[in-house]
Amino acid sequence: MKISVARRLVIPAAVTGTLLMLLLPAMPLLAAAAAQPAGLTPWWVWVLALFVFSFVLGIVAVLAGVGGGVLFVPIVSSFFPFHLDFVRGAGLLVAMAGALSAGPPLMRKGLADLKLGLPMALVGSISSIAGALVGLAMPAQNVQLLLGIVIISIAAIMIKAGRSGYPEVSQPDRLSQMLQISGLYYEEFGKHEVSWQVHRTPLGLVFFFIIGFIGGMFGLGAGFANVPVFNLLMGVPLKVAVATSGLVLSINGSAAAWVYLFKGAVLPLIAVPSIGGMMLGSKIGAKMLPKVNTRTIRLIVITILALSGFRSLLKGLGI
Amino acid sequence: MTDKPREGGYADRVQLVYAKTLDYVAHSVIVVMAAGYFLYLTGMLPLSVPIETIAGNWHLSAANMQAKLNLPCGWGCFTSPAGILHGDIMSYISVIFLSLATLICLVSALLVFFSEKKHLYSVITILQVLVLLVAASGIMSGGR
Repeated sequence: MKISVARRLVIPAAVTGTLLMLLLPAMPLLAAAAAQPAGLTPWWVWVLALFVFSFVLGIVAVLAGVGGGVLFVPIVSSFFPFHLDFVRGAGLLVAMAGALSAGPPLMRKGLADLKLGLPMALVGSISSIAGALVGLAMPAQNVQLLLGIVIISIAAIMIKAGRSGYPEVSQPDRLSQMLQISGLYYEEFGKHEVSWQVHRTPLGLVFFFIIGFIGGMFGLGAGFANVPVFNLLMGVPLKVAVATSGLVLSINGSAAAWVYLFKGAVLPLIAVPSIGGMMLGSKIGAKMLPKVNTRTIRLIVITILALSGFRSLLKGLGI
Repeated sequence: MTDKPREGGYADRVQLVYAKTLDYVAHSVIVVMAAGYFLYLTGMLPLSVPIETIAGNWHLSAANMQAKLNLPCGWGCFTSPAGILHGDIMSYISVIFLSLATLICLVSALLVFFSEKKHLYSVITILQVLVLLVAASGIMSGGR
């Protein structure tokens, strides 16, 4: 028992400490280097730093239960010398690649549900294209300012929003009945089957339209918003909500990514190491997940998110 | 309530087909991206724009960089067959492949919805495929 308690305390502290040792001291150094005139720091230093940074973010994102995209854009745009356009383009691809690679096992288990995800993705993908077009047409400073506001709001939502493992849905709404949105999955933790149905589907569609727009505009993966809408608003069990959020995110991200590709806002030099680092880090994070106290890490990540949002806000204000 | 998972699992045929397609596509994307980036960084193929030039301008907005360097964007990288044989273009094509991944999976799901005569979801999936095709055509973005 004592060993188990020690493991629960020591391992998370060690993991968090190591990650912070890597992340936090690097931030001012990167910020200072990013402020230097272009060309003083060799390009490969930035690319290597981006890979390492994305790798660490990938681990932290999984342990904190947040999408990599939502951490990537505010932090990289604050501490690297790349224009926000390219960071948003890479951020969308990072979020999309993570969702795609995690997808197959979740679909086979019946956790990621096509009937639940497709109608939401349809409205979300249309608005994410609109969001990407608006975001790329706006002056970068305004986008940076809005990004700061959105990121600080996300941090607040993450602190405030609760989660419900198995929400009660006494009566499914008519639209969800028409769309036959319901399901059954096997809960491995409790060794029992869970059947689910949903309500408030029309309101859910409105929310997914708004979330798609924000995701496309800022290049964020929108898991932070998809999951509460599925779980708390529509009554989807948490595991199905998280898994189906990835499906929606991959479709919305794909639609918005084309806008960034056609507008020249995707540089493979930046995007590929970000995707590679984040995917590798996510795999390691997933292996560490059962062994660590994720609450502590989640709190630290929310703090980092809020700080990077604050920095975006200041950059947007020209301070 | 049961303490054992049911035989045959909990995913229907369309989910299994989507998952299988996604598995193949996701693994192919990883391989293609790694190969493309390797060709880009090692200089095994010539580059259409040197890395140093990209790095010297990556603080510019996408529109300004485009105006200055005329980098490939959208399907523009396929305009000349000889142009494809550049390290940076190869890496760019790998990113295009990633962006096509969802579309490929949706088409596989559509075929199952059709064969099972699930008309409502066939329509929803067709609309989704159309949205992605419109995005990929560049019509919305004024692309080429």
